[in-house]
Amino acid sequence: MFKLVLRNLLGHPIRSAITAVSVGVALFLVCILTSIITTLQSGLAAASSTRLVVMSSISLFQDIPLSYQERIASVDGIASVVKWQWFGGYYKSQENFFGQFAVDPERMFEVYPEVKVDEATKQKFLTQRNACIVGWQLAAEFPEWQETGKIPLTGALFPHPSGGAWDFELAGIYRSEAANFDNRTMFFRWDLFEETLKGNGDSPGVGVYVMSLDPGADVERIRAEVETMFENGPATVRCDTESEFTRQFLSMLGDIPMFLGWIGAGVLVAILLGAINAMLMAGREQTHDIGILKALGFTDGAAFGVLIAQSLVLCLAGGAFGVGLAALLEEGIALAIGSAFPGFFIETTTYIGAGVASLLVGLAAGAIPAWNALRVNCVEALRAKGA
Amino acid sequence: MSESMIRVRGLTKRYERGGETLTVLDNLNLEMEEGRFYALMGPSGSGKTTLLNLIGGLDTADSGELVVAGEDVAQLSGADLAAWRAANVGFVFQGFNLIPVLTARENVELPLKLTPLSGAQRRQQAETALKLVGLGDRMDHRPRQLSGGQEQRVAIARAIATDPKLILADEPTGDLDRKSAEQVLDLLGRLNREFKKTILMVTHDPHAAERAQSIVHLDKGQLGRIEHNQPAAAR
Repeated sequence: MFKLVLRNLLGHPIRSAITAVSVGVALFLVCILTSIITTLQSGLAAASSTRLVVMSSISLFQDIPLSYQERIASVDGIASVVKWQWFGGYYKSQENFFGQFAVDPERMFEVYPEVKVDEATKQKFLTQRNACIVGWQLAAEFPEWQETGKIPLTGALFPHPSGGAWDFELAGIYRSEAANFDNRTMFFRWDLFEETLKGNGDSPGVGVYVMSLDPGADVERIRAEVETMFENGPATVRCDTESEFTRQFLSMLGDIPMFLGWIGAGVLVAILLGAINAMLMAGREQTHDIGILKALGFTDGAAFGVLIAQSLVLCLAGGAFGVGLAALLEEGIALAIGSAFPGFFIETTTYIGAGVASLLVGLAAGAIPAWNALRVNCVEALRAKGA
Repeated sequence: MSESMIRVRGLTKRYERGGETLTVLDNLNLEMEEGRFYALMGPSGSGKTTLLNLIGGLDTADSGELVVAGEDVAQLSGADLAAWRAANVGFVFQGFNLIPVLTARENVELPLKLTPLSGAQRRQQAETALKLVGLGDRMDHRPRQLSGGQEQRVAIARAIATDPKLILADEPTGDLDRKSAEQVLDLLGRLNREFKKTILMVTHDPHAAERAQSIVHLDKGQLGRIEHNQPAAAR
């Protein structure tokens, strides 16, 4: 009977191909949309609840004083404090958008042990003033950096005193093994940043301080102590765990997961209706064949099976195509949307979910024609016009 | 006297059409012997095809007794009726009713899938049936690649593939030219003579009916006269 199922599908190759590809494209989109959601959520899940972030109590875009660093570091239970400042420059053109941060090089490796570099890279970054490190995804986008070793950036927020570009030298590539730390960012040294800006007569502020804690440190006490410490200072601060900070940062983007979820659901419903339509046509055309099968002694259940199997084969083939396409393009998509969704990846459970979705679409699309095949009277079916 | 293959007692079948009840078979009584070739004749609407469908278990009667091949078909339903049909009846239809996406061999193999035969045995039996109807060289052709006569011979091969006792043929020559019709009638006659198949053939064609040993006439759902003749092929 499986031969009959396949022959019926191959009997209308264009219709079958269009339906399967439609299901495939829809499930590919669902895989991508779902993965954007899981990528956002995994960043949140991976964010540490024992790493603290200090920012201005007014907004993330308000700087806090440089002088706070040593006072924060003096709080009992804090192991290390690294300062971050958003540079906001661009490479060649403003379309080449990626994150660049001025950081304390030694402390960065102390606070973020998940950021891995080789020893030569680390030494160069720690010792050479204009050295920088970039994530592997970013390095893949601009292969010329590794060829020349130079990264000239135009400072949009912080223009270079010379009026020209900031010339950085690539120390090496970093890889982050954790979802909360993306691989599409550039880090350069704070001392270069600060000293260069002095040429403009500027003294830079700090975007955020990130602290790692001693083992067993009391997170709530430290948070409260840091916030209280600057209550009467030039800038009041709030101190959150990294996970809370990440959650609040993502919430600034709006409810993206819900929005993407609705789009994914809409795509699935649309493709379900398309598949139902294709299967209703197939069922109508095969009514006569169903009559023949019943006349030969095949049961109503067998007739049901012929139609539902066609729908399942069609939708599962489409699902396999969509999942395969997503797996094939995962790396390229990660690069393409890396600026908006750093650390994009497709989880195994997403592939499994897409497979289950194609199975359910197949069952739902084949249900009506299969039910009709089950119920149709043999004599009536034989009177129906064949395909 | 041979055993009875078909015994009909008080068989009635009605249809609802446009709010009216149409009695197609009206308290019909009939007996047909095993191993004979019957032609069923009558004007359009006389109930020939309805009777054939009831005997073959494709449809169910409203009342009456219908015993075919020793089984009270009227008492069967659903999967039991389907299984009985597969084991006891072979159908040959006017429009051939082959599945267009399958080859001649695959069409003939189809009813064999309901038997316990292995794939190789099914294939061998289908090939034997196709050779018997003279289509040994057309096994891998699809119905659209065959002439009408060849399609009907494939249908006959399918009807005999499971070796049923009874072959029901509904206007088997209705869509064929004279030459092809003769071949099909020769084949049915041969199945009756050499393989002792009971054949019940609905036909409008008196020439085709002459091939049968008995001609049963139906009129307005009731039994008319029964003629017995010496079939031309056997003469």
